[in-house]
Amino acid sequence: MNKVLIVDDAAFVRVAIRTILEKNGFEVVGEADNGISAVSKYKECKPDVVTMDITMPEATGIEALKAIREYDPKAKVVMISALGQESKVREAIINGAKSFIVKPFKEEQVLQTLSKILSI
Amino acid sequence: MAEAVVHELLEQEEDTQKGKFLTFTLGNESYGIEIKYVTEIIGIQPITEVPELYDYIRGIINLRGKIIPVMDVRLRFKKPFREYNDRTCVIVIDIKDISIGLIVDSVSEVLSIPDTEIVPPPDISKGGNKYIKGIGKVGGEVKLVLDCDRLLNDEEAESLGTIHN
Amino acid sequence: MSGQYSSEPMLDMFIFETTQNIELLEQSILTSEKSSCYTPEAINEIFRIMHTIKGSSAMMLFNEISSLAHCIEDLFFFLREQKPQDIDCSALSDLVFEGIDFIKVELEKIKAGDPSDGEASILNSNIKEFLALLKKSTPSINDIQKPSSNKKQQYYITHENIIPSSKRNAFKATIYFEEGCEMENIRAYTVIHNLKEYTEDVYSIPHDIIDDDSSVQSIREQGFKIFVKVDKTYEEMFKLLNQTIFLKDLELIQLENDEEFKQFEKSTRIVIEDREIKIPQLRDTGDKGHKEQADSHLAQQSIISVNVAKLDKLMDLVGEMVIAEAMVTQNPDLKGLELENFQKAARQLRKITSELQDSVMSIRMVPLSTTFQRMHRIVRDMCKKLGKEVRLELIGEQTEVDKNIIEHISDPLMHLIRNSIDHGIEAVEDREALGKSRIGIVTLEAKNAGSDVLVIIKDDGKGLNKEKILKRARDNGVLSKSESEMTDKEIYSLIFLPGFSTKDSITEFSGRGVGMDVVTKNIETVGGTVSVDSVEGTGTTITLKIPLTLAIIDGMNIRVGNSRYTIPTISIKESFRPQERDIIHDPDGNEMIMVRGQCYPILRLHELYGVKTDVREFVQGILIMVEMDDKSICIFADELLGQQQVVVKALPNYIKNVAKKIGGLAGCTLLGDGNISLILDINALIGVLRNKG
Repeated sequence: MNKVLIVDDAAFVRVAIRTILEKNGFEVVGEADNGISAVSKYKECKPDVVTMDITMPEATGIEALKAIREYDPKAKVVMISALGQESKVREAIINGAKSFIVKPFKEEQVLQTLSKILSI
Repeated sequence: MAEAVVHELLEQEEDTQKGKFLTFTLGNESYGIEIKYVTEIIGIQPITEVPELYDYIRGIINLRGKIIPVMDVRLRFKKPFREYNDRTCVIVIDIKDISIGLIVDSVSEVLSIPDTEIVPPPDISKGGNKYIKGIGKVGGEVKLVLDCDRLLNDEEAESLGTIHN
Repeated sequence: MSGQYSSEPMLDMFIFETTQNIELLEQSILTSEKSSCYTPEAINEIFRIMHTIKGSSAMMLFNEISSLAHCIEDLFFFLREQKPQDIDCSALSDLVFEGIDFIKVELEKIKAGDPSDGEASILNSNIKEFLALLKKSTPSINDIQKPSSNKKQQYYITHENIIPSSKRNAFKATIYFEEGCEMENIRAYTVIHNLKEYTEDVYSIPHDIIDDDSSVQSIREQGFKIFVKVDKTYEEMFKLLNQTIFLKDLELIQLENDEEFKQFEKSTRIVIEDREIKIPQLRDTGDKGHKEQADSHLAQQSIISVNVAKLDKLMDLVGEMVIAEAMVTQNPDLKGLELENFQKAARQLRKITSELQDSVMSIRMVPLSTTFQRMHRIVRDMCKKLGKEVRLELIGEQTEVDKNIIEHISDPLMHLIRNSIDHGIEAVEDREALGKSRIGIVTLEAKNAGSDVLVIIKDDGKGLNKEKILKRARDNGVLSKSESEMTDKEIYSLIFLPGFSTKDSITEFSGRGVGMDVVTKNIETVGGTVSVDSVEGTGTTITLKIPLTLAIIDGMNIRVGNSRYTIPTISIKESFRPQERDIIHDPDGNEMIMVRGQCYPILRLHELYGVKTDVREFVQGILIMVEMDDKSICIFADELLGQQQVVVKALPNYIKNVAKKIGGLAGCTLLGDGNISLILDINALIGVLRNKG
C-alpha cells in the first residue's frame, strides 16, 4: 500500500484527504499540522508521497518542502493550494514539488494526482 | 459505491417486509401491525408507574437498560382492563424515533396481506376505530390493521378528563 | 446542502474546526482592540484563520461563508504586507466582528441541518470598500504582491535570442488539461519546468504563461502548445509528457525540420531561473513568541474531538456496568456463603468500576473558560452602544463543569452580564460625579463548592433599589407576602419573577421584561439555583449555583408501596420515624410536624402519586426532611432502601410529551435489582406543597 503523509494546519482538510485516501486503498502514515513537524514526521514515517498545504504557521509548506527535499532529494511532494496562490505554487514547483491540487478539490483530483505521481 | 450496495440491501429488506403484518388479539378481535415497526416481542415485565399519565400509558419498563414507556392497547381502545397473564405480550415498536411497548392479550403470527386485500375502514370518525388504517382479509378472517402513528401521536382528541390527578 | 463531503464526519469536523477558529478569531480581535492596535502576529493569525475557513467552507460548498472569508483574508493580507499606519482599529474590528457574526449565524444553521442561506454580499462590499480606502491612503512600501495578482513578477521568463541548438529531435506537443483542475497556467509551467531538465530549447504558446492573465483562458480553450528540441525519441517524449497530471489530451508530433521554430526566433525562449525567491518573512515575533506558538501546537495535537453522543453512550454503558456490578456482587444467591476470594475479586471490580465512572465523568468535564471568554464580546458591544466604560474581570475560568451544563448556562450568563452593564453600571459622568472610578468593573467568577459550582456575577454599579422593586412588585401584583415580613434577599429575588424589569425605558439589550425569569428557568433546568445580593450604591452580586454534573447523583432510594423513588442525598437533612404527638393538623387539613420547635409541612408521596400502600400512618413509615433554598418539607414514605450513586436517565420523550407536566420528577434510574426508580425533583415538590398551602 502506498504511504501518504498529510500536512495541513486545518484539521478539516486533513480529514477530507484522509477520508478520500483511506477509502481508496492508500495508507495514511502520518499527519502534521505545521511545517516543522512535517519535516520530522517525514523522517519518521518515510512516506511515498506527501500532501503539503502551502499556508501554515511554523514554517510554511514551501519551507517544509525544501527541508524535505534536502533530506531526501527523491521525495515526492504534492502541494495543496488555495486559488490565487499562483506565485507560491510556482515557487514550490521550482523547489521540487511534483504537482499541486487546488482547494476546493474533488476526490478524483486527489486520487489522480497521487496515483500518477506514484507511478512515475 | 459501498453506499449503493447498502442502499440496495435496505431496499431489499424493505421489500421483504412489505405486506407483512404481526397479528395479535384483544379479546375476540384480531389486529395486524406492520412488521417494519416491530423491533421485538417480550413477555410482560414489571412496570414502573409514572404519575400523571393517561391511564392507558401503564408506565415505564427496563428493556435491557433502555427505559421505554408501555401502552395498554386495550385501555387505549377503551376496552375493559384485563389482568396480565403469561399469554400477555409486549410488542416493542419503533416509530419516528420513539420506542414504545404495546401490551396486548396475545401475539398470534406473522402474515402476508397483499395491498389488494386491505380495504379502508367503513367509518373512521368514531371511537377506537380511528386507530385503524384498514381492514385486511386473510382467508375467512378479518384483521384490523393498526395505524401506529395515530396510536402514538393522536393525543389532542383525548379529553383531559382521562388524566388522573 | 449538497456538498460532495456531506458525510457526517466531514461536516462535524467542519463545524467543530470553524467554531474553534471563530472563537480564536474573536479573542484575537478583542485583545487587539484592547491594546488599541493589531500586532503583526494578530494580523497573521487572522489572515491564516480566514484562509482556512475560506478553504474548508468552499469544500463544503458553503460559498457565502467562503466568499466572506476570502474578503477578510484579502483585507488582512494587505495589512500584513503593506503594514499601513493609521488604521481605524475600531472600524476594522467592527467589520471583522460583523463577519464573525455572519459566520456564526450560518454555522448555527448548518448545525441545525438547515441550509446556509445567508447572503454576505453587502458585508463583502463593505470590507472591499474599507480595503480600497486603506489602499488609497497607504503608499506602497514594498513590492510584495498579493498572490492572486501576478503582474510585474518576472522572475522566470526572460527574453533572449535563440542559441543554435544541437539537440536532435524537434517536437510539437499540444496539451489539454482536465476541466476544473484550476491554475492551468501553473500546470503548464510545471510541464516546462520538467522539460527543462533535458533541454533548454523549449518554446510555448501562449508564451507568457505566468504574467499574461489571459493565458489561463487560452490554455483552457486552445490547449497549451510546446515546441521542443531534445535528445529523446518520440516514445520517450510521449511517455514524459504523459506523466502530466490532469492531462486530458496530448497531441505529440515529431517535426521534420526547424520551420516552426522560426516563429520564436528573437522572441521568446523560456528560461527558468532557479533563483531563490524571497519569502516574505513574517516572524517579527521574538524567540519567545515563537516558542509559545510551538507549544500551543503541541497541546493542540494531543486533543481529539469526540461527538458528545458517543460520550453519552459511554456514560450510559458505564452506568449499566455499575448496576451489573451490584447485581453480581450483591446477588441474593451469595447470601450466607463464605467466599473470601470472591469478595476480594468483587472489591477489585468495584474499585475499577468506580474509577472508570470517575474518568468517564472527567472526560465530560470542560472548563468554563470558553464560555467566560465569550463574555468579552458582549461587554465590548454593550459598551460601544451604551457609551459606558466597563472592564470584565474573569476569575477561576478553569473551573470545570459537565458539557451538558455548559450549554445551559451560556445564555443566562450573557443575559446577566448585559443586565449588569445596562442596569447596574452607571454612565461615565454619573460614576465620576459619585466619586467612583470611571471604568465600571464586572467580575465573573467560578469556583467549586462541593458537588456544585458557583458562578458569581458581580458589578460595582448602583445596586438594586428595594423601594423600586417593591413598588414594581406591588404594581404587577406579584407580592405573595406582606412587605414588612420580607428579608432584603427576598425582595431582591423578586427581580427573577416573570415580567419584572426595573428599568423604566426598555433597552435593546436587556430585553422587554422577559429577562431575569428566563435566567432562573434556564438554571433550574440543570438543577441549579439563582440568588441575588446587593448594596445600593455599591453594586449587585448574582450567584448561580449549578451542579457539576447531571449524569450521576448520590441518591437515597425509598419505597412507597411497590414503587421506588430516589431522593438526591444532597437535599436530605435527616430522616426519622415520627411520634404521633408531634403531628399537627391545621383546620384546612394540612399535615405538619414539629421538629425541635420548628414546624414543617408533610408531603404524602402515596397520595401525590396515587400509589397503593398499606403504610398510611406516619408512625408506621418514615419522614425524610429535605431542604432546598432555605425551605424544608418532610416527605412521607414507607421505608428507606439505602443510599447509592445512581445514573440519571431521562424519562422517555413520549412520556414527557404525553404528560404535559410531571410533577416533581427529575428523571429515573435503574436500581441494582433491575427495577426502575423515579428520581424526585425536590424543588418542584416543595413547590407542589406550597401551591397547595
